[in-house]
Amino acid sequence: MKRLKEFIVEWAVKASGIVSIVLVALIFFFLLKEGIFLFKTQGAGGFLAGRNWYPISEPPGFGILPLVLGSLLVTFGAALISIPLSVASAVYIAEIAPGWLKEVLKSTIELLAAIPSVVLGFIGMMTVVPWIRSTFHVPTGLTAFAGSVVLAFMAMPTMISIAEDALHSVPRMYKEGAYALGATHWQTIRRVILPAASSGIVAAMMLGIGRVVGETMAVMMVTGNAASMPKGILYPVRTLTATIAAEMGEAVQGSDHYFALFAIGIVLFVMTFMVNMAADLFLHRRRG
Amino acid sequence: MEPVIVTKNLNLYYGHFQALKDVCLSIGERRVTSIIGPSGCGKSTLLRVFNRMNDLVEGAGVTGEVLLDGEDIYRPETDLLRLRKKVGMVFQRPNPFPISVFENIVFGLRIHHLYRRNKEMLHGIAQESLEAVLLWDELKDKLGRLATHLSLEQQQRLCIARLLAVKPEVLLMDEPCSALDPLSTGRIEELMQELKKNYTIVIVTHNMQQAGRVSDETGFMLLGELVEFGPTERIFTAPGDKRTEEYITGRWG
Repeated sequence: MKRLKEFIVEWAVKASGIVSIVLVALIFFFLLKEGIFLFKTQGAGGFLAGRNWYPISEPPGFGILPLVLGSLLVTFGAALISIPLSVASAVYIAEIAPGWLKEVLKSTIELLAAIPSVVLGFIGMMTVVPWIRSTFHVPTGLTAFAGSVVLAFMAMPTMISIAEDALHSVPRMYKEGAYALGATHWQTIRRVILPAASSGIVAAMMLGIGRVVGETMAVMMVTGNAASMPKGILYPVRTLTATIAAEMGEAVQGSDHYFALFAIGIVLFVMTFMVNMAADLFLHRRRG
Repeated sequence: MEPVIVTKNLNLYYGHFQALKDVCLSIGERRVTSIIGPSGCGKSTLLRVFNRMNDLVEGAGVTGEVLLDGEDIYRPETDLLRLRKKVGMVFQRPNPFPISVFENIVFGLRIHHLYRRNKEMLHGIAQESLEAVLLWDELKDKLGRLATHLSLEQQQRLCIARLLAVKPEVLLMDEPCSALDPLSTGRIEELMQELKKNYTIVIVTHNMQQAGRVSDETGFMLLGELVEFGPTERIFTAPGDKRTEEYITGRWG
């Protein structure tokens, strides 16, 4: 009887594992199957390096370079803003803030992580966009920079709370050892606690960036959606995700446009996969 | 002989709990002094008075005097960082930092700014310190390895080497062998005899045989009180207090 129970549980667990792997494989396969059709009529080089995205003109242009650059620009800007801020906040919460404040900050940040992205996009539209327009004297505040700011704020709660966990789990004995050698609080943080938590912190940052790359709604609302080559951080851009979301509804099923959007999906998939791989490699290098 | 550490009527409180009661002792230079007693008697607390690690505990308060080289370390103007450089501490669990062996050893030099970006000097001190704990031959080709991957005995030696690099006067050891096997313990004890030539050592230990083997003076503590303090031989052969006698003959504890 007991053995039968063991057997059932073991198989149930195994089956759910297999099902989730198969599902992921199927999604990937579907994406690949739909996307690959584009390359019957378009060269891969023209698709990846083409500078014109005119999917419904005649003749159509399916060059996604402006979209890729738009995504990279927004992501890079968001990373530049969010990484230093979230590492600093995590250090403050884990090491410096007094007990009561620590609890307040931690729960507030977890609350921030629960804000839906469309709400953040809306707030960004009402505050960040006009601010950029008046501060930098540009014709429109709907820019790559606005996207970076909004996405940075979106990614930060996750990054902070995971980085804080990593810092918090650094064994107390390391800290004691540093203090006993006469290190100051800051020296202890910089030379012992941060290196000890570095793999966890990198993982937190990568998770945040992964979220930024894949984010659609908020970024669509504030970046201005101009599918042209980005001229700078203070110009409107359009990201890969926004392109799919905006055009999928109007693309005729089975048309080149439709397949091109799936091909964009593949590119996006490869990008997030690379971010995750980088995080993984770093984690293993640290442990190895 | 000039004592290095002297305590006069030392009392320590954790909130309302009195962890040390009226402790008076004096610790001689370049000698090994051991403090024994049952768990919770305050021996680790006493050790942590000497480098003021108790300051990290919230609500800890001290009255009385603790003199290091004649100066009260509990004066408000004491430079804590200098004090801890002078009085190093080895912990119960070896706690090398999760960085390379080399960086562990030069950690103290870096934080006290004792080098002038001189790589050779750093390397020289690293070698000296590792030689002093008899690790140089084992580790000279592995200075870049992560310190937390060494064996426990090597880790504990490395923690001692890390202290020696900043040239302390006193080494505090809080049950330094309790995580080690008997062979490693024996080798660390030998090392202590070697270190005694240059440093004053205070060791807290559960292990009475160890106190007997390594120390010149022994103090016996019970419930926060220093019951008896004197030459190790006398404490173990002719204890003056009934409680000491009962403890060392193993009637309890």
